Amino acid sequence: MLLRLYPRPFREQFGEGMAQTFCDLCRARADDRRGLLGFALRIFCETLVGIAKENVMGMNQLGKTTLRVALVALGLLMVPLVASQFVKDWNWSVGAFVRVYILFFGTGMSFALVARRMGAWSYKAGVGVALVAGFALGWSNMVQVADSGNPANLVYYSVLGVGAVGACLARLKARGLALTLFAMAATLAVIALMLPSGAPPYLARNMAIGHGVYAALFTASGLLFRRASLSV
Amino acid sequence: MAKRETAQAPLTPAVLHILLALSTGERHGYGIMKQVDADSQGKVKMGPGTLYGSMKRMMDAGLIRESDKRVDPEMDDERRIYYGLTGAGRVALQAELKRYRGVVAVAEGRLAYGL
Repeated sequence: MLLRLYPRPFREQFGEGMAQTFCDLCRARADDRRGLLGFALRIFCETLVGIAKENVMGMNQLGKTTLRVALVALGLLMVPLVASQFVKDWNWSVGAFVRVYILFFGTGMSFALVARRMGAWSYKAGVGVALVAGFALGWSNMVQVADSGNPANLVYYSVLGVGAVGACLARLKARGLALTLFAMAATLAVIALMLPSGAPPYLARNMAIGHGVYAALFTASGLLFRRASLSV
Repeated sequence: MAKRETAQAPLTPAVLHILLALSTGERHGYGIMKQVDADSQGKVKMGPGTLYGSMKRMMDAGLIRESDKRVDPEMDDERRIYYGLTGAGRVALQAELKRYRGVVAVAEGRLAYGL
């Protein structure tokens, strides 16, 4: 049954031989009156490793990148997963962990796919800064909406929407991405000015600082993309 | 010739033992495993997953080839696929054994000086 997990070309070429060899090994051990359970477990684990190796080797570059990003995202998910066991009142649902994983995976894949489009360090740095800022904005907004239940906070997702649309229209070219990131910073500034805040002064100050930081990050990313566009 | 010899990366233990096992004639999968066990005096253990994974890469590299399907007279009547060394496999094995002899010569020279 394990043989079915091998890639088809490998299974077709070696499946029969592997099955025969396994039977021969079992028969030899039985003839020698040696235990089969430990042997079967060892062969099971060894075969699983072989299956993983053959499947990964059979992947193309995109498949390997996707697998790498998926595993890194899973590793990052361990942080909130473990922390939630020790921090009081941290009660995430399964759905919340799934959403966070999708956020990690989406950010990672976006970087992996977009950053490779241009060799310039400023382009890769611009992608990194934009994605980190976008991820942080999305995450903090998700937490804010969950905690406050205030639907007005959903307007911050429009900043990410501007980024997604702009990136598509720019076809990920440096000059277009620079304009996109400047537009995201401008959108955030407009939201900060127009969104009425009934918050107490200390909270309003913190919100202003947060807006400023995100706007600065998006602007910095835009400047990096602009530098990359000038270097072409 | 020297350039080609130095360009070959060292063989993994699994590949080396499979080449050694096939150096005396064609064998099927279980036969290769028995010979590897005998050659290494039980020190090298490989299961079917490791064996056939290594053999796939060796076939892709042209070191071994699939031979015919025949009955092993020392076993039952079931027909088994046999594998054999190619010319390139024989050259790779000779180059690896030459590398080993070089390393052993250096080690023995140093041991003679008490290092």
